[in-house]
Amino acid sequence: MTNLSSFFRQNRGSLITLLGLTLLPFIVGLTEGASPLVVWKNAGGTSKFVEGLAIEVFILALFALSYDLIFGITGLLSFGHSMFFAVGAYLTGVLLKNFHLNLWQTIGLVFIAAVIQALLFGLVLPRVKGITFALVTLGLSSVFHIVIMSRELGDFTGSDVGLQGVIVPAFISPANERLRFYFVALAVLLLAYLLYKRFVNSPTGRICVAIRENEARAKMLGYNTFTFKLVALTLSSITAAFAGVLHALYQPIVSPNIADMGFTVTALLITLIGGVGTLNGALVGAAIYRLLDFGLRRYLGESASFINGAIYIAFVLFIPYGIVGTWRLKSFEIKKGWERLVKMSGLG
Amino acid sequence: MTKFQATLRKNLILYITLAVLVATFFVAGQGMERKDFVITLLRGFSVGAVTFLVASGFSLIFGLLDVLNLAHGTLFMIGAYIGWTVYVRPDTFVDLLTPMALLICGFSLSNLWANLSTKSWFSLSSKWVLPWAFLLVSILVALFVLPRYPIATWDLADYANSPGTYSFMADQGTPIHAVASTFDKINPLLAIGGLIVASLFAAFGISLFNRQALVSKLNVRDFIPAALLLFIGLGSFAANDSLTAFLTGLSSNWLFLIAILVAVLSGAGLGGLMEATLIRPLYSRPIYQLMLTLGMSAIGVEVVRSIWGRPEFTMPKPPFFNGSGAGCPAESFSAWWQHNCSTIFLLGGRVRVYNEIFIPLLGILVLVAVWVLLQRSRLGMVIRAGVQDREMVEALGINVRRVFTMVFALGVGLAALGGVLAAPSMGLSNAMGESLLLNALIALAIGGLTSYPGAALGSLLVGLIQQFIIKYGTIGIPIPFTEIIFKPTPPLVPASTVLLMVVVLLILPNGLLGKKE
Repeated sequence: MTNLSSFFRQNRGSLITLLGLTLLPFIVGLTEGASPLVVWKNAGGTSKFVEGLAIEVFILALFALSYDLIFGITGLLSFGHSMFFAVGAYLTGVLLKNFHLNLWQTIGLVFIAAVIQALLFGLVLPRVKGITFALVTLGLSSVFHIVIMSRELGDFTGSDVGLQGVIVPAFISPANERLRFYFVALAVLLLAYLLYKRFVNSPTGRICVAIRENEARAKMLGYNTFTFKLVALTLSSITAAFAGVLHALYQPIVSPNIADMGFTVTALLITLIGGVGTLNGALVGAAIYRLLDFGLRRYLGESASFINGAIYIAFVLFIPYGIVGTWRLKSFEIKKGWERLVKMSGLG
Repeated sequence: MTKFQATLRKNLILYITLAVLVATFFVAGQGMERKDFVITLLRGFSVGAVTFLVASGFSLIFGLLDVLNLAHGTLFMIGAYIGWTVYVRPDTFVDLLTPMALLICGFSLSNLWANLSTKSWFSLSSKWVLPWAFLLVSILVALFVLPRYPIATWDLADYANSPGTYSFMADQGTPIHAVASTFDKINPLLAIGGLIVASLFAAFGISLFNRQALVSKLNVRDFIPAALLLFIGLGSFAANDSLTAFLTGLSSNWLFLIAILVAVLSGAGLGGLMEATLIRPLYSRPIYQLMLTLGMSAIGVEVVRSIWGRPEFTMPKPPFFNGSGAGCPAESFSAWWQHNCSTIFLLGGRVRVYNEIFIPLLGILVLVAVWVLLQRSRLGMVIRAGVQDREMVEALGINVRRVFTMVFALGVGLAALGGVLAAPSMGLSNAMGESLLLNALIALAIGGLTSYPGAALGSLLVGLIQQFIIKYGTIGIPIPFTEIIFKPTPPLVPASTVLLMVVVLLILPNGLLGKKE
């Protein structure tokens, strides 16, 4: 058995998912009779719509992934995570619109800003712990929310209407080149996921898990826990800011809602649905969250948030480890049960 | 070294912080006229009092139960809306009394259900089938009865019949009296029987889900609440018309008192029910409680939106605080007592009596009452002991679970009281809970999360800072050595308290009066 075939065997699920996502726009196109060439030229109706929905899922998944790193892996409860995302989104919009920079300069500046804001959170990190850290981060992010909502900055941020009129570079415009945008978002998500996977399995990542489990003990073993928390926070901030960049490029209006606490709560709920601290739970959770929200809003209208809330409560009460977490816990039993079923039906 | 010096040295940072705050306060007072200062001060007290009502309940719950109840703001809002309903639409309230009392009646028999579920014929049966069957039957019966049950209500789609119109007409002194609804879709006896059956089955089904190995013996006292609820339900059913006529004929002042009472009681009931059914299974998983309360909060807002609608409306002030005409605005308190004016001259400033005098006074009253409850009663002793060391209290043979439920009910009741008191001055909107919860969180973070005096101090600070900033928004602050006059804009109001919170937490991570760990 070669290395390659064992690699394929081990990552069968992920690879099939990736293949499915790559082919998704074309398959959707085929179902309504549009040939792949039509889809390739961004002319298909439904497939373009599905691409859009999938792009939103990817952006949400990227954001939730970054939240899972600090909340699920490192065990820092932050209520200010939406600020990481919103800084990326707003900075992209303002730099492209008001300062006429090109995309690469913008991304570079967003990168620097993301590191700086992680350091800002790191400033309060050694002082406060647990729920107080959550409150301080909530405070920092609400100050940012208030700043972008203020009328004085209306020319830049559009205050409560939202940032609009961002000129997206033509080669990635979500209107004309949506398929390309779809693949870019997918690639960014894939890269971030692989990076995170590598990070969690690296010695640094293991120490982050140790901090979550018992910080005093990690300290006692001689690790400067502050550094490791800061590393996780910085990585998370950069990822979330990149999700924000994609959001600003994709959405015609960047609404200020992405900076308030509700958006952090969205990330929290997504990680809960998928499974806290599992990484791929964030991806599954984002897909379920966005599609559920979309479906409910389409068929139920206004009362969708009611059903959403009820589903979260049901998750909390009955599926506490999330979908991926429960699958990992029970996969052996499920497999055994499946085998028994096959044997009973006489097929095996 | 004397004891005084020792305390001084230990709390030096705290005293310096407090001194800086007091100094800031006096500097802020220098910049405005005396009448403005009085008004701003009283407004600050008013906002602080409402914040305190929410924050104190929140901190009691967090201190004893370790539950960060993020649904507290929503419960505050629900309290306000319930108060409005009783005050403006007593007929709806009387109509609702019967089904509500009958539906809750079954849940108040928890000990009976716990005893029944240990009986062999129930414990032998399947773990899942029986409880779900009971719940399903109960839900089906409730779904059959409730939509057919006649309740005089408003209509969100019809402007002439909307909550806002009812509120407006009541404020004008000409309240609309809606047509009484009658049992034309369902037989009254069937409805009553169905509600009782639904309640009993639901309560039993839920108790089968979490069976306890140890149950206390059945006592006659366990039946008293249920009998009382049954009496209220059946009594209000039999005397529906006369009760409605009595309440609509009653002076609005008394109706306001009843509204406060009903809001507080239903808030407490809601809190107790929430703790007993949803939060209790999650004590071993703290983060999940947070998620649960977040979900509850989202659901609560949706429920309020679907029942009372999205548009904002006001709640009329009781006539006791809303007089005008001859002798108004009052010059002194005795003059006010005669004319019941809505405003009064106090130290040169014209002050609204309800907003700026009644609410702070009631806030102080509640502060003292809960303080006495905590310090002088047996329940308070158990609560304080539980905050210190929950397991020790449990080991001493005190039923901590019951105390948990009571504290949750007390906390939510306080929030509902805050809601119904704030409704006439703040107005009713879907967003009132959210903004107040943020205020209360900031107040608690400043004062110390589990400290009761800290909640009071933090709320006062939050209220004063917000009101002074608003006032300086119109006056403007001259910046020294320059010609510039700085006018704080409205977004700075929440930002200022948030900044204060961040600064205080960075200097004193446990808040001003929080205990050091």
